[in-house]
Amino acid sequence: MFNDIKVGFLSATSSIKRGNKKTLGFIVFVLALIFINLVFLPSMIGGLMGMMTGFMQYSYGDIVIEPSMDNAYINNADNVLQKVRAIPGVTFATKRLDAGASIQYKQKVVGSSIKGILPSEEHGISNYPFIISEGEFLGGLSRAEIIIGAMLVEGYFGSEIYDNLGGVRVGSHVDVTYSNGVVRTYKVKGIMEGTFELVDLNALVHYKEIEDVFGLDESKATSIVVRVRNPDVLAKVKEKIIAAGVNEPVFTADEKSDALMRQAMQSIDLINVVSKYVSLIVGAALILIIIYINVLNRKKEIGILKAVGISPGSIVISYAFISMFYVSLGVLAGLVLYFLLMFYFTVNPVTFYENITIIPEIQGELVIQSIFTMLIMSVIAGTLPAWRVSKENILEAIWGR
Amino acid sequence: MKDKPMIKIKNMKRYYKTGSVIVKALNGVSFEIKQGEFIAIMGASGSGKTTMLRILGLLDKPTKGEYTINNLNVVDLPEEEKGYYRLTQLGYVFQDYALINEMSAEENVYILSLMEGKSKQESISTSKEALEKVGLGDKLNRVPDQLSGGEKQRVAVARAIAKKPKILFADEPCANLDTHTSEQVLEVLRNLNKNFRQTIVMVTHEPWHTKYVSRIIKLKDGLIVSDKKLRK
Repeated sequence: MFNDIKVGFLSATSSIKRGNKKTLGFIVFVLALIFINLVFLPSMIGGLMGMMTGFMQYSYGDIVIEPSMDNAYINNADNVLQKVRAIPGVTFATKRLDAGASIQYKQKVVGSSIKGILPSEEHGISNYPFIISEGEFLGGLSRAEIIIGAMLVEGYFGSEIYDNLGGVRVGSHVDVTYSNGVVRTYKVKGIMEGTFELVDLNALVHYKEIEDVFGLDESKATSIVVRVRNPDVLAKVKEKIIAAGVNEPVFTADEKSDALMRQAMQSIDLINVVSKYVSLIVGAALILIIIYINVLNRKKEIGILKAVGISPGSIVISYAFISMFYVSLGVLAGLVLYFLLMFYFTVNPVTFYENITIIPEIQGELVIQSIFTMLIMSVIAGTLPAWRVSKENILEAIWGR
Repeated sequence: MKDKPMIKIKNMKRYYKTGSVIVKALNGVSFEIKQGEFIAIMGASGSGKTTMLRILGLLDKPTKGEYTINNLNVVDLPEEEKGYYRLTQLGYVFQDYALINEMSAEENVYILSLMEGKSKQESISTSKEALEKVGLGDKLNRVPDQLSGGEKQRVAVARAIAKKPKILFADEPCANLDTHTSEQVLEVLRNLNKNFRQTIVMVTHEPWHTKYVSRIIKLKDGLIVSDKKLRK
């Protein structure tokens, strides 16, 4: 066996070293495209799904409780929170107060949705505390402070598409005029960048600020956002919330997304799964065909090797080495191409509806899975035809029949 | 030892079926070969000489008949063992050189020693020695495309003799060579036979090649028509 490996390796290296470089280049190019086909579309779809899921999680968590139809607020929000937090499977829950407002910095004014949050509770609920690109997140005592979305700040990605507040920076003071006419001045404590508009065009202040501005008592909320331990059992947790005596409408994040978006996500997910498997099968077939043709072109050589006494085992090992080398180069070239494409589409994201952009998501697991799949395919594709030819009659192999 | 037959062929037949016609390439051939002989198998085209050599070289199987080397029935050896026997005991020089184009002269030769289980260093030195023996010591790293026809054939001879085979088979080794180059190749074979008592069986159709050999077996229509020992 060791001799087979040694001879197989010598035969493979000399074939690679002195083989036709143009053919090698073409094979590697095709293999790189196969690899791209395996990973690129899922990355784009992943970006789209991530954007949609991300959007829903910021606004709705896993489950959201909203005011009933004839109420602007959830009354007794603390009471509702208490009930919700007692339900097994619920990990975090918080109340929020949203308000419409305009924000002014020097001569620039933009309209925005201001979310009143309880900063310490948001750590377990949303990503808000983790997307601060400049400055800091709000603290428990941040009453005269505001976090503004990156797209409201000149120079940030996407800010050129919308009205922005010009050169506002961390430490600047902005005036916020709420929908009831109350004006408050806040110091910008941080800039948040969630990479999608529905977060980056908003602003965050302390819950108490909205309460004060609108003169609300302590038990009001425009939403109660809930996180659960296992997102697969959202429907069961929702049932438990209702069973606990919460009378306001309860929605899972999935239900909250409108029917069109839900269907779109399901369809996209289906396309993604189908595309992955089709790409995998097409990729495997292509690798097999490329290597098979390569082996057939060397049928005479295999016959000669056998005739002089080289074992079929080392011939098979040699082709396994060769095809693994081809595929490794193909994967390497594919990875370079993939990251270049990822970089390009991150800098120039695909945009639709004018303001929704899809930034592709690098899917590490899928990339590793694809590399392994291609390497395994390469071994099969290399050994199978070589094994077949090595079992053929020596003279027929030499004559190329 | 010299008088003891090394190869024994008894009533060897090889029939091919082409469509509905049966071609009798060998039709009952018997002879013996002793160690140290240099034999030329001659005959017209279609006489069965190449078929005979392929069977002797274990590249083909007879339809009927016995074939033993040192009393070992090599016809019925399993394919894997035949391969190993070819590797360790026999050398074969093909008419069209049959070199691996992507390997250097040295690699074409030392791959066999490597297969035999020798170390790379030992294999390289054996290969070098064999290539020097055929006068190609200065062209070790040339690939077949960088060699002339005669040089290629000498690499093929070096590959066959590097492992010091019991018997060396050569199938029209000068078929594609000019007279001068043919003489060089035949000289190499004669030296091997003379200096190392290498048993050689060579197929040829050129009468002037017989001046290098010690015995001539002539075939016609798949049968031996003459078997003549020459005084050398």
